Amino acid sequence: MQSNVPQFLRRCFLSTLVYVVTVWCVVWLLKHPLLDADTSVRAVVALLPMLPITYVVRLLLQHVMSGDEMQQRIDLEAIAVAGIVVSLGTLTLSLLMIAGVFHTTGRQAMAWVFPALWIAYGFARAWAARRYQ
Amino acid sequence: MKNDIRGRREARGWSQAELATRAGVSRQTINAIETGRYDPSLPLAFTLAAIFERSIEDLFEPTP
Repeated sequence: MQSNVPQFLRRCFLSTLVYVVTVWCVVWLLKHPLLDADTSVRAVVALLPMLPITYVVRLLLQHVMSGDEMQQRIDLEAIAVAGIVVSLGTLTLSLLMIAGVFHTTGRQAMAWVFPALWIAYGFARAWAARRYQ
Repeated sequence: MKNDIRGRREARGWSQAELATRAGVSRQTINAIETGRYDPSLPLAFTLAAIFERSIEDLFEPTP
């Protein structure tokens, strides 16, 4: 069994990057050329970012399922840490928004939750893997 | 747990990668077990014991 973690993480980061770019493009399209387009067209375009993020989910499932018991433990620890970090981060931002210190819209914040989770997972996995080296 | 996986592996002239292939795990997992940073599950401990033709008790001993 060969560890292919660097390739996996690279694919995850690239797919997340594609997701972010797709979100920007979709937001621009919906605000400008497709502002008055048919609702069904706007819905299809709005859901385009689901493609790269679904690919990331598929990558993660394949990676976790193909790993041995120690790799699965590392993934579990990384996912747990990433979930906690992102949860605390969103809670912190929401409290700052309530206080008027930080300003963003709810839909912008929601669009960043998933990429933030993956980025946190990448760092958390590197940290968790180091504990077993 | 303490173990003598490294000694037994080296006595057979196997690399970590070779033992990993025989046990169906990654080389990193074998390395973590040898260095005591990871305690294998019971099924993996049985697999390693079978590979070295020893009992689990011969390979692993609990640390106080």
